[in-house]
Amino acid sequence: MFSLTLGNAVHKPARTALTILAIAAILAEILVLEGFLTGSYTQLRQAVLQRGGDVIVSQKGVTNFLAARSILPQRTRRDVESRPGVASAHPLTSISAIYEADGRLTPIIVLVYDDKGGPSRLIAGRAPRKSREIVIDRSLAERYGLSVGDTLTLSAYDFTVSGIADGAAALFTPFAFLTYDGLIDFYFESDVAADIAAFPLLSFLMVDVKKGFSPVAVAADISANVPEASAILPAQLAANDENLGRELLGPIMNLLLGLSYGIGALAIGLFSYAAVRTRRKSLGVLRALGFDTRHLVIGVMTEALGTVVLAIPLGIAIGAGLGSLIESLAPVYMLQTLDPTALWRTALIALVLAVLGALAPLGSLMRLDPATAFRG
Amino acid sequence: MLNWTYRELLAAPQQLLASVAAVAGAFALVLFFAGVFTGESRQIVALIDKTDADVWVMQKGVGNMHMTTSFLSDWKIDAVAAVDGVAKVTPILYLNSVIQAGGRSWFSYVVGIEQGDGRAGPWKSAAGARLPGPGQAIVPDIFASDAGLKIGDKVRIAGRDFTVAGFSADTFSMANSVSFVTLSDLADTMSSVGAVSYLLVDARPGVDPAVLAERIRTQVEKVNALTRQDFSRRDFSIAVQMGLEIIWMMTIIGGALAVLLTGFIIYSHISDRERELAVIKALGVRDRVIWAAILVQALVIGLLAYGLAVGLIYLAIPLTEALVPKVSLGMSGDSLIRTGGLAVVVSLIAAAIPVRRVLAVDPVTAFQQ
Repeated sequence: MFSLTLGNAVHKPARTALTILAIAAILAEILVLEGFLTGSYTQLRQAVLQRGGDVIVSQKGVTNFLAARSILPQRTRRDVESRPGVASAHPLTSISAIYEADGRLTPIIVLVYDDKGGPSRLIAGRAPRKSREIVIDRSLAERYGLSVGDTLTLSAYDFTVSGIADGAAALFTPFAFLTYDGLIDFYFESDVAADIAAFPLLSFLMVDVKKGFSPVAVAADISANVPEASAILPAQLAANDENLGRELLGPIMNLLLGLSYGIGALAIGLFSYAAVRTRRKSLGVLRALGFDTRHLVIGVMTEALGTVVLAIPLGIAIGAGLGSLIESLAPVYMLQTLDPTALWRTALIALVLAVLGALAPLGSLMRLDPATAFRG
Repeated sequence: MLNWTYRELLAAPQQLLASVAAVAGAFALVLFFAGVFTGESRQIVALIDKTDADVWVMQKGVGNMHMTTSFLSDWKIDAVAAVDGVAKVTPILYLNSVIQAGGRSWFSYVVGIEQGDGRAGPWKSAAGARLPGPGQAIVPDIFASDAGLKIGDKVRIAGRDFTVAGFSADTFSMANSVSFVTLSDLADTMSSVGAVSYLLVDARPGVDPAVLAERIRTQVEKVNALTRQDFSRRDFSIAVQMGLEIIWMMTIIGGALAVLLTGFIIYSHISDRERELAVIKALGVRDRVIWAAILVQALVIGLLAYGLAVGLIYLAIPLTEALVPKVSLGMSGDSLIRTGGLAVVVSLIAAAIPVRRVLAVDPVTAFQQ
C-alpha cells in the first residue's frame, strides 16, 4: 500500500508539489502569526531587561514599565541610595511623544537616562553626549530616512541624531534616547515649556545592589521604607509587561490563529478529498483486487500524513523567510518564527489536521464500487 | 461551451462546496485582519467622537491623544472661555495608563472629569452610577466582566485604589479602553495639581469650529486647537500607523494563501477534465473559447468563495461580540472592495497556469487509453 501511495504522489508530481506548497504556505502563515506574537512578548521583556540594574524602583503601586506612568519625586534617588545594600541608583525618565514629518505621525517612547538604561545595541553613531543629541531606533530611522547627523524635530525642538539603535522598540513603538541635559533643554526651549511643572522628570531608578546583598531583600527593604516608591526585580517587571501584552494581543491573535488553523483543516481535508476523487478509478481497481476499505483508508491517510510531513520543513523555511522579510521592511516588529515551542505546536497540530483531513473522503471510500474500475 | 462550463461546475457539488469553502477561508482570513483593524481603530477614537466637542484644545506642539501627554495650566480654561464664539469649556485630565483588577492588567485611557459634569463623561451607562464621585471609577462593562468586577470592588489606577461605582458601555477596546474618575482624584494621582490635559470646547450656534479653533490658537498663549474631525483623524492615523504595516503584510500573506489554494483547486478541477478538454479541442473548439470557459469557472469559484467569506465575516461580527467581546470587529467598504478585487485577480492568476497546460494537450490523447 505504501509503494502504491508513493507511486500516486510521483505519478502527478505537479499536483503533489502544489499540494505540499499550499499546506506549507498555510503552516508558514500560522508560524508568522505565532512568531509575531512571540516576538512582541520578547520585545516587551527586552524593553525592561535591556535597561539594566538589579532592582527597578517605580512610583508606589506602579508595576509596569511601558504604558504606565510613573513619577517619582527627585528626592527618591537620595532616599533609595541611603538604603542598605544599594550601591547606586540611576535615574530614567519615560515620555511618550509623537514624531511628525513628511505628513506622517509616529508615536515614540523617549527614554531619558544618565549612565544606565540607554540603548543596548548601536548599529551606527554613538550614544548621546550633548544636550541636543538623540539616539533613535532603526525602525524610525528607516521609516523617515534618517541617518547619523540628521535633524529630528520634536515639538518644534531640533535634535541631531547621534546614533541609531537596534532592537529598541516594543508595542509597535520605537524608542529614542536622550540625556538629562537634553531633557531639560527640551522642556525649556520647546513648545512644552509653558507647562513644565506638570511634566515628569524622574520615572524609574535602576538600582545596582552591593556585593553580598540579595536583590530580593533590597527590593523589599526599599518598598517598605521609601514611602513613594515600589521596588521590583527586572525579571518580574518584564513579566508584568509581557502579561500586559498578552492581555492586549492575546484575544485578537488567538482568534486569528484559530481561524488559520480552521483554514488549514479545511484545506488539508480538501486535498485528501480531491486526491480520492481524482483517483476513483485506480482505487476502484484496488477494491476489485480485494483491498478492503481499511486498506484504502490507510493508503489515503499515509498520503495525507506524508504530504504534511514534507510540507512542515518547507512551511518552516517559508515562515522564517517571511519573518525576516517583514523584519527588514518594518524593523519595529520582531518575528520569532523559529521559536521551538511554536514550531512543535504547529507541526503537531498540522499532523493532527492531516489525520482528520484524511477522514474527509471516508464516505467516498466506503461507497466506492469496484465496478468504477471498469467504467470509461 | 457555456453549457459544458456550467455542467462541469455542478458535476460534483460536494467538491465544489469544499473548494469554495477552502478558498473562502483564505479570503475570510484577509477580511478578518481588516475587520479587526477597522474595529479597533474606531474604538481608539471613540472618546473623541462620542463626546463630540466642536474643538479640542491641548498643549502647543501636541496634536494627538493616543501615546501623547498634554498639559495646560488651568488658567487657560478661563482664557479659552473668553474667546468669542465659545459657549462652554470642559476640562479633562488624561492619563494613558494601566488598570489592575482581579490580578490582571489592562491598558486604559483614564479620563478625569469635573465632579457632576457629564459633558466629557461616559456616553453610555451599562450599570451603576453614570458619573464617578470622589475615590470612585467608572470602568468599561467588558473589562468588568472579564475581571469579574462588581459594583463596589476595587481597581488600581497608577498605584491608587478606586472603588468601582458603575460600568460604562461602548468604551472598551483592546488597545485602549476608557475609564473615568474625578478630575481632582486624577490630578492627585498624577501629582499635576493646577494643570489639565485637554479642553473640550462647545461653540456657540452658527460658529464654524475651524474658525473657532484658529481663533483660540491665535488668542490663547501656547495652545493647540483642533476641530473634533481633525483631532479624530490624527488619532486614527496613529492607530493606522501602529497597526497598518503588520495588517498589510498579513493581508498579503493571506492573499498569497488564497492564490495557492485557488490555484490548487482550479488546477485539480482542470486536471480532472484534461481528457474531456482534449476531446473538445479535437472537435475544433478554438483555444480562446477554452480559455474563456476555464476563466469563467475560476471566476465563479473565486467569487462564490468571496461571497461566502463576506457572509462568514458578517456572521462573525455578532458572534465575536457575543463570544469574544474584547475584540472589536468592524467592516469598511474599502476592505470589502479591496478583497473583492483580490478575489478576481487571484482567480484569474490561478486559472492561467492550468489553462496553458490544457492548451498544450495533444487532441490525440482524447482517443488513447
